[in-house]
Amino acid sequence: MANIIDVPKPRINCSMLSQYINKAVCFVGKVEKVHPSGRTFTVSDGEEKTATVELNDPLEEELSGVVEIIGLVSNKGVIMASLYNLLREDKGNTFDLQLYNEALKLLHDFPQHYPYEAAASG
Amino acid sequence: MDRLCSSKDNPDWNTAPKAKRMSALQVLPCTVSQLLGSSLLQHEAFAIGDLELHQVSVVGIVRSSCPCATYNQFCVDDMTGPPLTVRQWTNTDSESSDPLEPEPGVYVKVHGSLRELQGQKSLMAMRIRRVSDLNEITSHMLEVVYAHQQLFGKGCDVNMNVLPQTHKGSNTAGFSIVQGQVLHVIQQHSGKSEGIHLQDLVTLLDYINETDIRKSLAFLTNEGHVFSTIDDNHFKSTEC
Repeated sequence: MANIIDVPKPRINCSMLSQYINKAVCFVGKVEKVHPSGRTFTVSDGEEKTATVELNDPLEEELSGVVEIIGLVSNKGVIMASLYNLLREDKGNTFDLQLYNEALKLLHDFPQHYPYEAAASG
Repeated sequence: MDRLCSSKDNPDWNTAPKAKRMSALQVLPCTVSQLLGSSLLQHEAFAIGDLELHQVSVVGIVRSSCPCATYNQFCVDDMTGPPLTVRQWTNTDSESSDPLEPEPGVYVKVHGSLRELQGQKSLMAMRIRRVSDLNEITSHMLEVVYAHQQLFGKGCDVNMNVLPQTHKGSNTAGFSIVQGQVLHVIQQHSGKSEGIHLQDLVTLLDYINETDIRKSLAFLTNEGHVFSTIDDNHFKSTEC
């Protein structure tokens, strides 16, 4: 099975989850609640809708702020995360999640100018 | 006629992979998928569509890093496809060397040019910079769409809906064939500030009689697609 890093991972928000079932996606959102087990947490997107994320291994650290998750969307619309990455606030610059949400909708409006495809290299 | 040649309807498209447009002075913001999907031209340069690529920029997260003696090599992932290999030559003189050694998990912006090395496309980096304000991820996404829309898009209305493309001989929505032809030629000559002279329009459209051309001009002007410039005989298109 292809490594999730090597496939296109369209940036989506909660409204688009149902269109990407069983597909690899990149979801950026604000961490809301972390389950005590550390295996699952909820995130909210730029439209303030919430999605659930499940991890293979429980979290080893405190997770808060804006996180970028790569994973597959399950049949139930849960993001099965393979990797995540905190978008840390640097020098007081807060990541503008609402603007990011507008931008990602634009990407979907113009797929000819922002293609998500595994074009052959070389 | 050059712009007609760059249309994919022209049968010469597949046999003559020569770029019609140069972008030597531009740094084109791109996605990794666009770079990996670009075509190789005759002289080892790459093109997206008919635009020859020179400098490009990508924003992505470093997935793996492999510093070697003479160059740094790492893979940058912007989610549009597999990660792109990036190489940056390390300079022995410390003045010009970039102190950044990209670590995995860090977002970077890379400026460089596309090369083919060992059968694979990779980016030869001129400059690599860590992204300090992560809103730059968002701004790069927007810049890519904007730049590509400007270069490859065929015009849009106020709601950002792409207008139908005008091809020679086809009927553009809302126009008669003659009106569409007249508009097409005016659009081709709208690069000049004064546009095209009526006589040149008549000469180029020698298969249409002058009365019909004048009627079309009146219609197009009334509809706001065309306007007169330095005098009543010079016309230019309002559309991009």
